[in-house]
Amino acid sequence: MKTTFTVLMVIFLAFSGYHLSFKSFRLPGFALKFYLTGIEFLFIGILLGSSFLNLLDTQTLKSLEPVSGLVLGWIGLIYGFQFEIKKVKRFPFDFFLSTLIESFATLLVVFFGVYFLLSFLDSNINIKIMGVLTIAAASACSAQTGIVLVTSDFNYNKKLITLLKYISSTDGLHALLIFGCVFLIQQPVYDKNWLVHQLYFILYITGVPFALCFLYLLFFSNRIYEKTISIVVIGMVLISSGAALVINFSPLLINFFLGFCIVNVSRKKEHIFNFLISIEKPVYLLLLVFLGAGIKFSNNFIFFIAACYSVYRLTGKIIGGMLITKISKKMSVYPANLGFGLIDSGGLAFAILYDFQQRFPCETTTYIITIALISIVYNDFLSLFFLKRLLSKDAGTIK
Amino acid sequence: MKKADRKIVVNYIFILIMLVLFALWIKYLNVKITWQQAGMINFSLGFLLLAAYLIGGVLNILKLPLITGYILAGIMAGPHVSNFIDTEMVNQLKLIDDFALSFIAFTAGGSLHIKLIAQRYKAILLNIFFITTTVFCLTTGFVIISAKYFVLTKLLSFEQIVAIAILSGVIAVARSPSSAIAIINEVKASGQFTETVLGVTIVMDVLIIIFFTFAMTFVKIIMSQKGISIDIPFLALAVEMFCSIIFGVIIGKGISFYIDKAGYDLPIFLVFLGFVVAKISMFLTIFMKNHFDIFLHLEPLLICMSAGFVVQNFGKSGRLFIKSLESVEMPVYVLFFSLAGASLDFTALAICWPLAVCLAGVRAVGIFIGTWSAGTIIKDPASVNKKAWMGYLTQAGVAIGFAKLVQRQFPDIGLYLTTIVLAIISINQVIGPVMFKIVLNIVGDAGRQKR
Repeated sequence: MKTTFTVLMVIFLAFSGYHLSFKSFRLPGFALKFYLTGIEFLFIGILLGSSFLNLLDTQTLKSLEPVSGLVLGWIGLIYGFQFEIKKVKRFPFDFFLSTLIESFATLLVVFFGVYFLLSFLDSNINIKIMGVLTIAAASACSAQTGIVLVTSDFNYNKKLITLLKYISSTDGLHALLIFGCVFLIQQPVYDKNWLVHQLYFILYITGVPFALCFLYLLFFSNRIYEKTISIVVIGMVLISSGAALVINFSPLLINFFLGFCIVNVSRKKEHIFNFLISIEKPVYLLLLVFLGAGIKFSNNFIFFIAACYSVYRLTGKIIGGMLITKISKKMSVYPANLGFGLIDSGGLAFAILYDFQQRFPCETTTYIITIALISIVYNDFLSLFFLKRLLSKDAGTIK
Repeated sequence: MKKADRKIVVNYIFILIMLVLFALWIKYLNVKITWQQAGMINFSLGFLLLAAYLIGGVLNILKLPLITGYILAGIMAGPHVSNFIDTEMVNQLKLIDDFALSFIAFTAGGSLHIKLIAQRYKAILLNIFFITTTVFCLTTGFVIISAKYFVLTKLLSFEQIVAIAILSGVIAVARSPSSAIAIINEVKASGQFTETVLGVTIVMDVLIIIFFTFAMTFVKIIMSQKGISIDIPFLALAVEMFCSIIFGVIIGKGISFYIDKAGYDLPIFLVFLGFVVAKISMFLTIFMKNHFDIFLHLEPLLICMSAGFVVQNFGKSGRLFIKSLESVEMPVYVLFFSLAGASLDFTALAICWPLAVCLAGVRAVGIFIGTWSAGTIIKDPASVNKKAWMGYLTQAGVAIGFAKLVQRQFPDIGLYLTTIVLAIISINQVIGPVMFKIVLNIVGDAGRQKR
């Protein structure tokens, strides 16, 4: 068994390396998308993890926790950088409302659906609620990969494409807000006295991000040369991720907040973003490998549950899409099935899941994360089909 | 100091104070679970990086080298001053040393242009020969003769003194290409003197790895107490060096191929490659010992240096290779030097400073005799001849790396050597760049760079 998977791993590595290294690599649509989203690295993680080769065993993953923190912080910061108020304001308010509706419709359907589905799980109720809330948050996230891939070959309704791109790049905001609630459910105990504990909790959760933000802005208020920007950015991500972990909070959320502040305040945002994005790909691939390594296939039933989760998510997206077209006259011009274009899960969903896996490690967490990841793979294969269905109905013309 | 510079200094000091206050708050929190411990490692690394950046920046404005600031930040944060980064954490962060050393070796090999050496080969070779000989002999001789007069070394056995003397002698020969290049760029220097100094510095940084490998073998023989058997260890050394170079050439060709065919994410690719080379070398040593009872240690520094040399001189991608290394060198250097500062035994430093000052002086004398002899033979102007030594004092990177390697392989003497070496480097890194700047102005090379 192990030999088979070793061979598989080598093939995967070779293919992935090939994909990463050669631009002229051509594949059929679904497979190209598979590679573009980097899902193959999730499989490498699964093969390297305790389910198969056990090279990345629990102990090794534990020793890599500092790297995990850094990876999550990096992704959080990049995501925060997408929310430049000046740029977001360029879009109509209806778009913002659409994202909100789309996200929350998916969140609600997935939350109740999955909670009911997992009623058989015998575990701590808090962990179960937190886990379901996390995958509900992750389900709200969508990605642009499929949209970009399809629309690069065809000329489609530009308005619809703009709306889809807007929703898929901003829906993560709501997902992160919901994910933040997970940390309110199970707080670390700072003090035996309830009131003192709450005061500490508020002080840490609000004080640390603001103190970090203040430090960041102080740094960037000075002259920083191109060559040294890497030191400041790496140093700050290390500090903010480290501080988040020390206070038992999420490095993803804290860095998202910092990214949001910097992009709206600092004049050096372009330089910082260019540096952040320059190593985004390896950071993202590492995240996928780590996530994959933590997966455990306890039984075959898990594949069925993951399929149900995918159906709930799809239902949520469809309902959300339908509701969007009802909010105003302007929005009624969009097709009612626009939810079909938002099936792709995207990198932020992985980051949310990984953050949860790291922060609350237990059997239930592993089970829930495994479901979510299998479902992401299902979605990855399905999304292109649904997207083409949406776009072909919307009268696209081949270039 | 200019008004603008004064403002920057004040700002940097203010940020540093804020950073320290924040760090104290985080340090005060109760860290229990591994997740939090991992956070503390991240936080400490980030703190070290930023504190080193700020202190380096302040010292740079005061016309002192950046590297001194990095080392100083490490000392301040380290176990012997504030204990913000304790000994256990310093050990945990040794991982950084591995790839930083490989990285430095890539840069050293990549900076070695055959064309440059060919232009001034006579001056370069003579300087290398004389500087190496005089500095090594004087330093080694001085340590052996004077060891009983210094507190740090007087209790050591004769074998240990000889080992420290040989290794100090070799390390004293090492220079700092990165500092030299930085100063040449800073004063926009160009000319025969500049080219010779650059050529000597870079070639020496490559040769020093070979000298060091020889010295380590010698020390192994001395410290093993099994008597001296010349043939086998030297044959083994020759095999090790040959294999390391061959391995390096293969890797160099591989890097060239990667750059030509793909070239994406090159800086990250190189950092990971350096790390992989260090780890594989370590693994191979253990594997050969356990399975075949053969001691075969492929030197990662020599492998990476050979790889860098091959990429620079036997392919089309040398410029891109160096550019990629330069794009990530700052964080690597800052972390490496500040961690070197943190691992400095401050108590021992207080004891060994007289020895360090004497050795720095002896090294300077050795360099003076070497450069004067070489200059006399090639008939350089007397005015340049007398002052040429001032261009060769800077010392960093590889020297610290060597001391750390010794510490790993010979814990008995490694601590003494690291302490002495870091003390000497601190002195040379403060004086060296300033002297180099002065001599470039004296010989008239400063400001002659066209671009």
